[in-house]
Amino acid sequence: MPEAGQDIQVTRAEDGTVDGTVRVGDEPAGPDFTRAVLDVAGAVLTWPVLGAPGAPGLPTAHVHDAGRAQQWLWALYGERVADAVHDCATGTPSGASAGVTVAVEAVEAVEATTLAGGAARLAFGHWASRWWPASYMEGTAGLEPGVLGLELAALTHRCHQLFDTAFDDQPEPDDCAAELIAEHQTALDLLVRWWLAPSQPADTARHLDSVLRLIDDAADSAGLDGPALRHLRASLDQDQPRPAGTPVDLGTLFARPRGYALAAGEPLTAGSRVITRGTGGNDWRRYPPGFVDAAEDAVSWTVRAVGARRRIEVEVVADVAAPTAGAALVAEVRVDGDRAVRVPLVLRDDLWTGRADLSSLGLDLDLGPDRGLPSAAMPPRIEVGVLLPGFDPGPGAPGDAAHRDAVRALARQRLAAAARPSPYAGAFPEPFLAEIAAVAAVEEDF
Amino acid sequence: MVIDRAWRGLGPGLDSLSGPGGAPLTRTVKLIVLPLVVRPSLHPELAADFLAPPQAARLETLIREAGARLVATAQWFTLLKKTRRALGIVAGNPQDLYFQLCFELATEHEEPSNGAEAVARAALVEVANAAGGRTVEALKDHLADDVRRSRLDGDLAAAWESRQTAPAGDADVAARAAAQAAASVLEACGAPGPERDSASFEAMVEGGHGSLLGRALWARAGGGVSGAVSGAVPGGVPGGVWGRDDLPAHLKLTEHLVPPRPEVGRGASTATLPAPLDRTLFERLFVVLQSSVRREELPTVPELVRREVGRSCAPLGLHDESLRVAVVLGGRLAVGLDPLGDGDSVPGRTAAHRAVNSRWQREASVLRARRMTVSPRPDPDGGVLDALARDLRTPWVAYMRRLWVRLHGRDVRDAPLNDMASAWALLDGVARSVMMDHRARVRAALRTLSATAAPTVAPTAAPAAGQRSS
Repeated sequence: MPEAGQDIQVTRAEDGTVDGTVRVGDEPAGPDFTRAVLDVAGAVLTWPVLGAPGAPGLPTAHVHDAGRAQQWLWALYGERVADAVHDCATGTPSGASAGVTVAVEAVEAVEATTLAGGAARLAFGHWASRWWPASYMEGTAGLEPGVLGLELAALTHRCHQLFDTAFDDQPEPDDCAAELIAEHQTALDLLVRWWLAPSQPADTARHLDSVLRLIDDAADSAGLDGPALRHLRASLDQDQPRPAGTPVDLGTLFARPRGYALAAGEPLTAGSRVITRGTGGNDWRRYPPGFVDAAEDAVSWTVRAVGARRRIEVEVVADVAAPTAGAALVAEVRVDGDRAVRVPLVLRDDLWTGRADLSSLGLDLDLGPDRGLPSAAMPPRIEVGVLLPGFDPGPGAPGDAAHRDAVRALARQRLAAAARPSPYAGAFPEPFLAEIAAVAAVEEDF
Repeated sequence: MVIDRAWRGLGPGLDSLSGPGGAPLTRTVKLIVLPLVVRPSLHPELAADFLAPPQAARLETLIREAGARLVATAQWFTLLKKTRRALGIVAGNPQDLYFQLCFELATEHEEPSNGAEAVARAALVEVANAAGGRTVEALKDHLADDVRRSRLDGDLAAAWESRQTAPAGDADVAARAAAQAAASVLEACGAPGPERDSASFEAMVEGGHGSLLGRALWARAGGGVSGAVSGAVPGGVPGGVWGRDDLPAHLKLTEHLVPPRPEVGRGASTATLPAPLDRTLFERLFVVLQSSVRREELPTVPELVRREVGRSCAPLGLHDESLRVAVVLGGRLAVGLDPLGDGDSVPGRTAAHRAVNSRWQREASVLRARRMTVSPRPDPDGGVLDALARDLRTPWVAYMRRLWVRLHGRDVRDAPLNDMASAWALLDGVARSVMMDHRARVRAALRTLSATAAPTVAPTAAPAAGQRSS
């Protein structure tokens, strides 16, 4: 949130082209999966996900339409920054193209800090819906997409000032409260049942109440209708006094669709011998969410000698919600930095598995002079990655693993905070309903 | 900000026009406060982004004076929403449909009082009927009559025969010249600051550069793919109309070598619409009637059909020259688009290209941050995502389709492009739409890929929010 005395850079983009982009704040750093972004009127906002927890701070704004951005710039950054962006974009009054440093004044209006907080939370929620590192192996519970999606709809409605809609114009893609409500209508009844349940911690009840009222208001504004929305409206209407709903058990309410039992690898082929094995190469950027367990060692491989052949077997622990039909992942295998070859993977139970004959793939293992034993001095260097063809944007940077660790730590920290008896107290940001539900569902499991 | 402050100063009673935090909704500002309360046409000094203190005070006064009326507007809106639900009306966004109407009701009746429900009902029915029979259904009925169909068919044949065509060689040279003129307009579009000179755009309109391109398409000019397939076009200019040998002059506005004579047609479906210049009369008007927000502004269906006969046989399927010129500008822009940012150098990129391409780069970085990527390189195993990436490698196809539909919509409404600023706003808006379409497709494709075989409950009563026509 804006704090007095904080300095903000307002710079015009170097390319200085048409209506050149104006940047507010520092250029974001870190890999794609550490950035929470929001598409708003006339700009893209970016927050670092791994920033100080509890204080998301001000985002970096890439303003491409300064005129449209004026509707919220003042409320997010204060008037001085809004002025500076205006000057920068119009090239007035003097030397503005070079950029200026603006000391952020204390934003007095209550709504401004509310907007900054709401926007940061909305961006983080969108990030979590794509990158949350759910892992059975590491005990990081996944977030129920419907519960998260509905809370994002509520937050979008709360942050309506950021978006700009007009008749003929297309709305910003993140101005999607109506779409989110429509998409996740089935989860709405779950939330209503949760909200109606007696013996709710007061904070959770308040949180649910506020989310549901925002959803109702957003649906009403957009003219949405449907059985779930009518039920919601009826429930909200008779809230005085609050009816005693049926007690619900969160664990049952949000129970995961299936149990999870890591299948043991296939029995060893008779006469085979392990030459080498390893783990790693789980680059989240290369496949969509919901396919692979987020643990770093979810990807493992074994090279066996089967007679004269050398076979590689790849096992990838699937995400709990991995699609059982449709898209198929592949493993990308590289020996000693050679050309990569693909091994198709099949989802069976909780594992994506695939195997391939290395020599028939054109990969040669240096197995030592006797062609039977790997040379102890020079074991082949095998790299295995997993990806979805057509989606894969290419491998990430070598330093990404450390960032993935940090993201996992963040998720664990947040879930731990959500599991506390009073999750809303303390320095940590308020948990999402999906996090509270996730914690409850996990407790049920054990 | 001034509006925000003045709004909050009005006190309670504005809930239905305000957001959850008490600030006015964006639509409240756009549809009510600015056009009906502030009225910049009467107070031009209040139209600026930034107001000096005296103007800001004036603005606050205007809003404060309208306070009672705004409170009444809010009450009417609440009543209309309630009545709408009771009547079972679900089409359209109620804010878009009723905000201004509520302000009128508040002006006429002040707060809703006795009999207000009847007034609300009547108003809603009137809005619902405002389309005045300008519907796809009416078009279907109109074109179902066999006698009428054969007469229209004859009219189309006659209009097509009397087209003014040009010899291929001449047309080719002229079209090339038009494309080159477009480059300098696009460069001017990029000039920073407000004082964009419309002269080069107006010169293109006066010179009939759009018609030149339209006639060149009929003459199968431009070499490019068509030339490569059937041998060089006699007199064709090397490099084709668009400065690239691999591109046909028509940029896929038609799937044929030359645009065919339009048929009458009797049906259409959004998912399978052919290339714009291959569309039937029915398909062309179907798009107009289906996507129109303000149908009451359209001519009646028989009039629409009558005019479309001439329009569909005119160069580029458009009557107005400024709109035809926009096709040339759009084409020139589209062939230089680089959504994948692989920097394939295309000669003659202009300031307009740099602006749109930098937006594509920003979009790409947002999509990476949202884990919604497509592989930049062709991938035979890539399935539907690879197909989406392939579309990004030929961005002019999607761009020209969307552009043509917008221009056609304007032509039907007699809304020419009067200056370069409005032309650029439209060209830029189309680029944005193409980008948003891509994002929506990636999202849909990923959703399908991630769908589990496990039984899921189908969402009920999904509204058509965000539906976009092609």
